[in-house]
Amino acid sequence: MVRVKIFGTARLKAGVGTFERDVKNVDELLDVIPNLTRKEAKDLVLLVNGKPAGRRYRFRDGDEVVLLAPAGGG
Amino acid sequence: MASKYGGYMGKVLKIDLTSRQVSEYPFSDEDRELYIGGKTMAAKILGDHMTGKEKAFSEDNLLVVTTGPMTGSGAPSSSRFNISTLSPQTGYITSSNCGGHFGYYLKKAGLDALILTGRCDKPTWIEIQNEKVIFHDAGDIWGMKTGETQKALDDKLRMKNGRVRKNGKICIGPAGENLVLYSCIVSNERVSGRGGTGAVMGWMRLKAVCASGNKEVPVHDKEKMVKHTRKWFRYLREHPLTGNQLPRLGTAGLVSAMQMKHILSTKNYTYGQFDEFEKVSGEELAEKYNIVNKGCLTCPIRCARTVEVNGQQVKGPELETLVLLGGGILNDNLESILKWNYELDELGMDTISCANTISYAMEANEKGLWDNGLKFSETAELSQIFEDIAFRRGIGDELALGSKRLSEKYGGKEFAIHAKGMELAAYEPRRAAGLGLGYATSNRGGCHLNGGYLVILEGLGLSMNQTTYHGKADLTMLFQDLMEMISAAGQCLFTSYAFFPAPLMKHPNAWYTRLINKVLPYSGAVVRIINKYPEIACFHLPVFHHTKGFEYTTGMKMTFGNYIRCGERGYNLEREINRRFGVNANKDALPKRLTQSLQDPDDPDSRVPLEKMKKVYYHARGWNRDGLPTERTLRKLKILQDTRRSE
Ligand code: SF4
Repeated sequence: MVRVKIFGTARLKAGVGTFERDVKNVDELLDVIPNLTRKEAKDLVLLVNGKPAGRRYRFRDGDEVVLLAPAGGG
Repeated sequence: MASKYGGYMGKVLKIDLTSRQVSEYPFSDEDRELYIGGKTMAAKILGDHMTGKEKAFSEDNLLVVTTGPMTGSGAPSSSRFNISTLSPQTGYITSSNCGGHFGYYLKKAGLDALILTGRCDKPTWIEIQNEKVIFHDAGDIWGMKTGETQKALDDKLRMKNGRVRKNGKICIGPAGENLVLYSCIVSNERVSGRGGTGAVMGWMRLKAVCASGNKEVPVHDKEKMVKHTRKWFRYLREHPLTGNQLPRLGTAGLVSAMQMKHILSTKNYTYGQFDEFEKVSGEELAEKYNIVNKGCLTCPIRCARTVEVNGQQVKGPELETLVLLGGGILNDNLESILKWNYELDELGMDTISCANTISYAMEANEKGLWDNGLKFSETAELSQIFEDIAFRRGIGDELALGSKRLSEKYGGKEFAIHAKGMELAAYEPRRAAGLGLGYATSNRGGCHLNGGYLVILEGLGLSMNQTTYHGKADLTMLFQDLMEMISAAGQCLFTSYAFFPAPLMKHPNAWYTRLINKVLPYSGAVVRIINKYPEIACFHLPVFHHTKGFEYTTGMKMTFGNYIRCGERGYNLEREINRRFGVNANKDALPKRLTQSLQDPDDPDSRVPLEKMKKVYYHARGWNRDGLPTERTLRKLKILQDTRRSE
């Protein structure tokens, strides 16, 4: 089970900030994000336990996954 | 002086508040070609007057309010105006680009700029109507907060039919009247925030200026401009930053990205992450408190928020306020920040400098240097403290001086987070080295925007190596110059974010985006060539609509290269004026916390490698080792000031 947090405009689209899923790898995760198509989910930056992670990352139980869109302007 | 160029009203007024004399100030088309408008035009005017001996609070100082040729032209985000003066906070030139309606109405009144000097003998407000200047007694509005002041002024501008004459205003609140060093000037709900412009206006005993009129801003090629503007609006609306993130989350939307990249200033810049950041994030603001988006005139981005505080709809906080009055003081109560943001605007104080001064005081108290009663995360008294600062009561009288002066008195210079006396913005630069360089070299002091905002490449929009010094100096120069010119033209700096092609922002995981992220640190040599010979960029960039828009509005030939060159001229001119006030390489500094203490003890790169970057930066700018523009550089840029200096 991994805990997923979404930030930025993707969170407004998903309509949910935090959820848990039983997924083994990033590929599986991309299909289970509420209200986001796989294509949209693919364009989010992925961090696992605070560190940038690649598409081939295999989750471990209890991992905290963050998905966020690039941002700028302040 | 009348202009052959579009975009200009052709008149600059100088108002001597002491003698109440109003005269036209000569500003020719040659001046316009070189100094454009906005902050660069203001720098030219200040440079013509300032020798280096003047003081901020003296009759020799000038408050220069300028528009740019794009102001009121109908181009996107073009209602901006600028206020420049000798800053009481830094002792150098400060400039502040502001939204609101004033710039637009100043041009409707037939003016490109206003130069205010001297001192009124009693509190005064000025009405400008179609070039005519009328002085009014401000005794009845002196002491009022900014919202109340603007309402009272509208009442005074009511016509016989009961309607308020359409107008733009600038005014100060109690903080400006009482010379709080970081007090600001307010226009509608927008703020000319940084550098203490409000205190200069307060010292002048000038409560407000209202402008109105019925003149039209001339546009050189209206037909082309209308077509181009349509395209430009569409481009901004479709760009992921200006069409999605900023409208939907405002600047506050950056909090979570900053947290992930360790650049979220926390506990007076001790850390780059705040455990409770989600409670004070843009997402939380959008989901629970945002009522409606607002924007300045002719802005498709509409980054401003409206929130509800105590049953009243008010302006929501920007990112800086959210971070510095959130994690900056270990406060996770979003509602309190909404309230303080409103209170600070009403009092007329810069939220960035105020928040950083408070967090410095909290740390000084924690370390036993100054027994002032302020503690991190204990915030019940803060509203009262803000009032005390604005009215210079008790401890507020000292806090009104800002963190630099307080650290000179009580110690703790290493954690007084300022550059040249102006407190830094909310981005923790130990994980954004280029922004660290920008903060240190910015002409107005610790400002992220005047500093070039390189953080957009260092982890926010793109993901360039955050801590390396490679490539940062040249990129910083390029972005500083680009932003300088956008501001001089009279547009909002946020339009510059669309400079980054949309696919790079939309697809951060695509091979080309990853490649660019990898290559950016090695781009220094290429960027250096563009910086040095901008004339080779003798074209318009498809992603950068500003140059064509400028050309169609004014009729002046403009290319991307010219545009950068004009920005470079402005940057160097301000630096040259600051030289007269004693700026040099030693003043381009950051507190030791940021240059010597590691943000992460396990990462030896997690501090700002400032000295290394400064060397490259000075070289790229054509400045000598002491950080001063050489005569060759000044000549190249046609800055026709008497430099009175041999190298
Ligand atoms: S982007 Fe925001 S600050 Fe800039 S002009 Fe638009 S509303 Fe005003």
